Amino acid sequence: MSKVFEGYERQYCELSANLSKKITSASLLDGEQKKQKVSEIKGGFEDAEALIRKMDLEARSLPPNVKATLLAKLREYKTDLNNLKTEVKRITSANANQAARDELLESGMADTMMASADQRTRLIMSTERLNQSSDRIRESRKTMLETEELGVSILQDLHQQRQSLLHAHNTLHGVDDNISRSKKVLTNMSRRMSRNKWIIGSIITVLVIAIILILYFKLTH
Amino acid sequence: MGDHLARADDFEKKAEKKLSGWGLFGSKYEDAADLFDKAANSYKLAKSWDQAGAVYVKLAECHLKLDSKHEAANAYADAAHCYKKTNTKESISCLEQSVNMFLDIGRFNMSARYYKEIAELCEQEQNLEQAIAYYEKAADLFQSEEVTTSANQCKQKIAQFAAQLEQYQKAIEIYEEIARHSLNNNLLKYGVKGHLLNAGICQLCKSDVVAISNALERYQELDPTFSGTREYKLLADLATAIDEEDVAKFTDAVKEYDSMTQLDSWKTTLLLRVKEALKAKELEEDDLT
Repeated sequence: MSKVFEGYERQYCELSANLSKKITSASLLDGEQKKQKVSEIKGGFEDAEALIRKMDLEARSLPPNVKATLLAKLREYKTDLNNLKTEVKRITSANANQAARDELLESGMADTMMASADQRTRLIMSTERLNQSSDRIRESRKTMLETEELGVSILQDLHQQRQSLLHAHNTLHGVDDNISRSKKVLTNMSRRMSRNKWIIGSIITVLVIAIILILYFKLTH
Repeated sequence: MGDHLARADDFEKKAEKKLSGWGLFGSKYEDAADLFDKAANSYKLAKSWDQAGAVYVKLAECHLKLDSKHEAANAYADAAHCYKKTNTKESISCLEQSVNMFLDIGRFNMSARYYKEIAELCEQEQNLEQAIAYYEKAADLFQSEEVTTSANQCKQKIAQFAAQLEQYQKAIEIYEEIARHSLNNNLLKYGVKGHLLNAGICQLCKSDVVAISNALERYQELDPTFSGTREYKLLADLATAIDEEDVAKFTDAVKEYDSMTQLDSWKTTLLLRVKEALKAKELEEDDLT
């Protein structure tokens, strides 16, 4: 049984090598030949898929120990095939545009008169595009100049604000000095006030003592 | 709104009563001033600017009697602000009074600022000569306070109006001085080419060809980068156009400059004058030949 499986395996390996060779050669070609190669490769894919299905059936019909290893191999082959498929897709999609362009221009170049008209329209288009780009450049230059003017006026404003800030800074220094002077004046005032209070207090006590003494002498005489 | 109006009326009447009656401790002026202030506030809320202005004037008189010139000057300034919305002449007179008071106290900064405001009001009324006079006073005061940027701004306005009134020499001198001053300052040096352009246009208006080329050379010396700018190119082209008395060349040069940066109305007026003069000269030449 495993001999059948091995036979399938060998066929699959051959086929996949073939397919990968065809893919690399197809990526170098283009246009009609590419299409042929791609269709060949697609046929090859179908054969490979059939082989894989047969291998699968074989593997399942075998005893379990061998089954496990064979199924693992099978999975490897399946991923391999998927990779090849994605490669082919990449090649075709990368050149769908190319193929369409080829068709378009091919039909254009078929007629010589048509060719010159085409060239003329192409020239006109390219000059138009050049004009457009020069217009855009001029517009951007205008915007840049406006921005520059704006920047200049902003700088002037900043200069003015700088001067105001410096002026305010100096004024605040003056205010600081004045405040310290007024603090001194106030402490002076409070000191004098307390001094006056003490003097008045002492005079009052002296007078009271004098009055008491006089009364005392008056009464004891 | 009616509520504010009523309250304001109330305050005003109370203040008047205080003034006419005899207050104890002689504090009647201060109380009256307080009430006047509240009244003016309510008038402002009620948006009746004339009455608010009148009340502020009375407030200022109270402060004068209290000998606090600073407060009085402030009150006059507030009155002027209220009058600005309705009656410009009154506001100008109020601002003048406040400016005089500030000058008495010695607060040149504030007085210069208010002079500038008066000048702006005159400008709005298109009274250019008076505006120039006030701007000059403001510029002098700013200069004495070493606030050079505001001084430069005022001087710029003076030069603008001078050029409009065809006092070209004065305008040229002012612009050149401003340009020279701005060169030294890192922040302002990018505006130099604008000033030189203005000076150059005034030179063109004087239509003295030799002077123009001399001036262009002088500006070159002042600012080495000037020759690379489009402004210099424009001036050089205009100078050659005037030399050759070619109106088409003149218009071409102006159009080219305009396509990049829009010319403002002041420049357009002056350039138009130059163009007319050029056309007249051309016709004259044709007549002679």
